[in-house]
Amino acid sequence: MTWGPLFLYYHCPKCSKKFKYELDMMTEFGDEFGFCPDCKVMGVYEKEGARTLDDAEYYEVE
Amino acid sequence: MAKKKTIITAAVTGAWPKKENNPNVPMTPAEIADDVYSCWKAGAAIAHLHMRDDEGNGTMDTAKFEETVNLIHTKYPDCDIILNLTTSGDIHADDEIRVAHVKKLKPEMASYDCGSMNWLNSGLFINSPKFLTDCGMLFQELNVKPEIEAFDPGMIGNAAYYLKKGVLKAPLHFQFCMGCANGIPGSMKNLIFMKETADELIGKGNYTWSCFGVGHSAMEMLYGAVALGGNIRVGMEDNVMYAKGVLADSNTQFVERAARVIREYGNDVATPDEAREILSLK
Repeated sequence: MTWGPLFLYYHCPKCSKKFKYELDMMTEFGDEFGFCPDCKVMGVYEKEGARTLDDAEYYEVE
Repeated sequence: MAKKKTIITAAVTGAWPKKENNPNVPMTPAEIADDVYSCWKAGAAIAHLHMRDDEGNGTMDTAKFEETVNLIHTKYPDCDIILNLTTSGDIHADDEIRVAHVKKLKPEMASYDCGSMNWLNSGLFINSPKFLTDCGMLFQELNVKPEIEAFDPGMIGNAAYYLKKGVLKAPLHFQFCMGCANGIPGSMKNLIFMKETADELIGKGNYTWSCFGVGHSAMEMLYGAVALGGNIRVGMEDNVMYAKGVLADSNTQFVERAARVIREYGNDVATPDEAREILSLK
């Protein structure tokens, strides 16, 4: 049984961009996991899930 | 020299994705049976089956399994695909319910999740020592091949433990589940580590293996499996996206891509009968 990738969903405290990181990418991003891809600041955590229904509204950082 | 045969497993629905995630996910017994047939035509030798209740939630309802298996056999009598039924389709099902369909339907294969873990960081996915012991012995009694799902290297160690106790019998068959939350991340480095762990603990020649990656690691695991001499599982249980931002059209689309990669690499796609031989099902 699997459940697809688990995402952590954030928004940027500076530009409000909505973005997400696949949990599995933690090893690749290291300390920058959760950062806004544009402003390079830590995002505000919103929620987690295996592709929530509003998933498409969040930019996938990879 | 004969080409190496690579087995494709189609995991067509799983327990979580719904039509809202991808309208092409099969949910009903009829939809699942149709998808299995289409995947078989595209090159899948094994179908890993989950069931859904009428609301689309994962269920271990024996009647749903029976309806689906019967549909595959009656609607598509030419389809000789190996059926691999999950024992882990609902984290709330008790141990008896989890194997009731296996007792009744006696599939060629069934899943065997070789340890417990947190499910999506929100619940418990329990596979107790008693369940694993009873399940292993039941599978031997019924001549059902366990597909040992290992979400991390510790679960390979656990399989070695049950092998030494006689609960599992060699040759084992592993499904390395890569990139699931609370399991090992999906990367080539980690896939190699899983294989090397199995080489050490189970012994080369004492096992076969397959793998899949959820999310971004899906393609890496596909190419990795082929290059490392393993087998591959694909389908919407693990990925509802075909590529970044692109919803999958069908499970068949995944099988077709896997078959292309296998052939481009220089291997052949294993037929169900070839898979039976590779997995010692005969």
